[in-house]
Amino acid sequence: MIQTINLQKLFSTEEVETTALNGINMDVKDGEFVAIMGPSGCGKSTLLNILGLLDNPSEGEYNFYGTEVAKMTERQRAQLRKGSIGFVFQSFNLIDELTVYENVELPLLYLKTPPDERKKRVEEALERMSIMHRRNHFPQQLSGGQQQRTAIARAVVAKPKLILADEPTGNLDSKNGEEVMKLLGELNDEGTTIIMVTHSPYDAGFAHRIVNLFDGKVVTENFHV
Amino acid sequence: MFRNYVKIAFRSLMKNKLFSSINVFGLALGMSCSLLIGLWVKDELSYDRFLPDAESIHYVRVNFPYNGETVTNTVTPGPLQEAIAKDVPEVAAVTKINFGNEVLMKVGEITAKEKGHYASADFFGVFDLPAVYGNPKTALAQPNQIVITRKVAEKFFPNGLAVGKTLQLDNNKFYVVGAVLENLPTNSSLQFDWLVNWKVYEEGWMKTWGNNSFQTFVRLKPRTTLAQTEVAMADIYPRFAGKNFETGRPVLQPITDLHLHSDYKNGKSVGGRIEYVRIFSIVALFMLLIACINFMNLATAQSAMRAKEVGVRKVVGALRSSLIGQFLSESMITSGLAVVLALGLVWYVLPTFNATFEKQLTLDLTEPTLWLAIGGLVLLTGFLSGSYPALFLSSLQPIKILKGSGPALRLQTSSVRSFLSPALFRRALVVFQFSLSIFLIVGMLAIGRQMNYMRTKNLGLDRENVVYIPLEGEIAQPKKVEAFRQEVMRQPAIASATTAMSLPVNVQSTSGDLNWPGKDPNLQTNVSCMFVGGDFTKTMNIKLVDGRDFRTDSPADSTNYLINEAAAKLMGMKDPVGKDVQFWPGKGKVIGLMKDFHLNSLHQTITPLILCFDSRNTSYLLVKTRAGQAPTAIADLEKLAKQFNPNYPFTYHFLDEEFESLYRSEQQVNTLVNYFGFLAILISCLGLFALAAFTAEQRTKEIGVRKVLGASVTNIVGLLSKDFLKLVMIALILSTPLAWWSLSKWLETFAYRENLSWWIFGVAGVLAVAIAFLTVSYQSIKAAMMNPVKSLRSE
Repeated sequence: MIQTINLQKLFSTEEVETTALNGINMDVKDGEFVAIMGPSGCGKSTLLNILGLLDNPSEGEYNFYGTEVAKMTERQRAQLRKGSIGFVFQSFNLIDELTVYENVELPLLYLKTPPDERKKRVEEALERMSIMHRRNHFPQQLSGGQQQRTAIARAVVAKPKLILADEPTGNLDSKNGEEVMKLLGELNDEGTTIIMVTHSPYDAGFAHRIVNLFDGKVVTENFHV
Repeated sequence: MFRNYVKIAFRSLMKNKLFSSINVFGLALGMSCSLLIGLWVKDELSYDRFLPDAESIHYVRVNFPYNGETVTNTVTPGPLQEAIAKDVPEVAAVTKINFGNEVLMKVGEITAKEKGHYASADFFGVFDLPAVYGNPKTALAQPNQIVITRKVAEKFFPNGLAVGKTLQLDNNKFYVVGAVLENLPTNSSLQFDWLVNWKVYEEGWMKTWGNNSFQTFVRLKPRTTLAQTEVAMADIYPRFAGKNFETGRPVLQPITDLHLHSDYKNGKSVGGRIEYVRIFSIVALFMLLIACINFMNLATAQSAMRAKEVGVRKVVGALRSSLIGQFLSESMITSGLAVVLALGLVWYVLPTFNATFEKQLTLDLTEPTLWLAIGGLVLLTGFLSGSYPALFLSSLQPIKILKGSGPALRLQTSSVRSFLSPALFRRALVVFQFSLSIFLIVGMLAIGRQMNYMRTKNLGLDRENVVYIPLEGEIAQPKKVEAFRQEVMRQPAIASATTAMSLPVNVQSTSGDLNWPGKDPNLQTNVSCMFVGGDFTKTMNIKLVDGRDFRTDSPADSTNYLINEAAAKLMGMKDPVGKDVQFWPGKGKVIGLMKDFHLNSLHQTITPLILCFDSRNTSYLLVKTRAGQAPTAIADLEKLAKQFNPNYPFTYHFLDEEFESLYRSEQQVNTLVNYFGFLAILISCLGLFALAAFTAEQRTKEIGVRKVLGASVTNIVGLLSKDFLKLVMIALILSTPLAWWSLSKWLETFAYRENLSWWIFGVAGVLAVAIAFLTVSYQSIKAAMMNPVKSLRSE
């Protein structure tokens, strides 16, 4: 379960100070699928980075599954992140020098999963995303949809409790986008919590709840039934 | 995990072939220089350490107070050995040897010249050298026996045992082979192929304390220190040497220091060849650093390409430490690849290197220390070159990298770059690299200039067109020397000929025995001296300021002397010709005053010199050939030598070769600095080339926009080259004082030198800038010529 209280994030340069998040209070329950929407620059991605333990808030509290993480160091956050959060990006962010199989295997290497177990789980994830036949290809040899399915396989291979998706269909055509959203929906149905940033109302329709941000604040929350 | 690192490393290497090959090739060049120098340094440091119980063997020198300073004699008088044996209980054994003779050895039809020494009987008490056959100790004790090395034994007795067989030396005496020694390794200060008992060689003058011509070695008793033994030796001169020499103090030098620490100043060892070992070691490190800098520069320059990977790895759970491990493993792998190439390069150039540096270095792959060194080199290079990129890349923050794609990613990573400022670090590295390169270029120019100065300096005597042959066998017989010389002078291609005890460009003998009426009894003198024959000044073209040369038809000349201006000054004589002096041969007169000429290397100032007339006591015939007629003169000499001395093979040398050999170390340094200066520039330029390629790629869009707005190709080339040239200029400014200081220090070792001029730095600077500009301009022109439409579309 995720909870933020009065979350603030300021970005300062020598000349200007920008408030990216301004008092975000948010609860995400286990197994929930939340979409975050809002215009460009409203703080969606900043919020996602903080929720994903990639960044610290300037102020406020953030309770991640019972642990207060707002003041953690980079090293502590990295330890906590490992295995408990999966990420899906708009630009896929696969490592070009690694094959599909090796990209998906990566989180398990850092978790020091034994080789047999690793092989089993990577193959499961690849089967699940219907990308097994491309296991020895490099990212540049895949279509956008295949790349994103690989990225989702990598996000789920360690069986995280939470998946964070940052505009996962942004670089895909509608057919591939639809497929990706269905996969995320299926993962959510199996109990994985998903928080997704999106511009697309259609994609947001897959979520249980839509949080609308504007100028770093939550302006509305809509629940789907 | 490591397999994953290796995989990534190889795929990254293959992906950026240009940068990878520059990295690997540059590192390999740097490593091969270091390996070569490492082999050389190891060999230099190993001198004489092969000797059994080497730590207790010491070389004896003698310190004398001389006009407020202390002069150290490298050679010692004959009686010193007996005095030490008798009077110094700390010494277990003591021996003396002469400087070495080349004798003609003969067994049946086999004849060859071999170098060896006459050594006092306890030689093997000091040097416990391994014997192949026989007992060298008892063999050397017998005046009719000879000890030879395995090499000589195999040459003269190819069919069996040498011990007990007879050898003839110089077509004269016969010796029975008493023992055969194992060949001496090349890293031995002593190099000989035979030893004969001292008593066979000894003459009356060798028993005097005033004549320093021999080398003395001692072996100390166990648990005896050098200092303790020197104290015990302190009263030898006062007790045994007589009033004239009572101030002499023997000092000891460990034999393991003999090769590298042979220079003495004011009574103390002040270095020697060790300076070159140090310089070369520093050069080795420089070369490695320059190559490592390329790696660091290219790795950080390419960080934008690796940034995404870092971000992804961090997001999926990599800790910073594991990323540092990954990038260090990559640099180790590159370094490993480079070392393989470096070993190939070393193997290829080793024969040339050995020929240049007169070594027999080998790349013995069965030797564990070599593998240790290679392993160390891989780790050191990998760590040196990989540590900064590893620290930098692992510090990149995923949120700044992973947002967006294409231009967004580039924008994000460029902001990361400026935030962490590796660009500044890169510039500093280029400056450092070029500072070292400019330093080496200045070294190349300055050393080359000094070498040229030495080669062309007027020494005050002729060394061109002078041939010399050793006087041996029949023509060494006192009665025949002069007849032979006269016959030689009758040849039309020969202008003049003389005889001399040593070569006039390298006079080694000194004496403290010079006296004259009115000499201050407290004044101690140390003059160079030499026995010469008739026509010495004429043959060597030494200017006579006053008086005349020795004349063979003047019997009184056997106790007359020629002196140089420095000797006249020492004796306080304004017009020395006709004045009385006393030297070894007896009381006589100065008959000629020679203008000062260089009698040693240009490291030393011109010392007072006295020449004695004795055509019998000489070692060489020096022949001045007429200009352009050297081949005829040599043919004539050979004909005469065969006629006068039929049992000896004819050998001849040119005097300027002997002169050049005085500067062998300097020539080697010169060659080394030339090679390495060139390589340093090459490696630096490889790095600069890649960096320029990278910068041009990064600025493609900017170049496109500028061209669209009207910039010409020259503008763009100027824009791209300017930044690099600025760095080279800064390097020039930084390296100038350092180069000035260190080269001035080096030049100070020469009493006669070409001082450093500003133009050397100017030339080095212009060269460095020109080379850097050429390197960068290829990439700049390529970028500037690109169609802007293309470059903008690529964005």
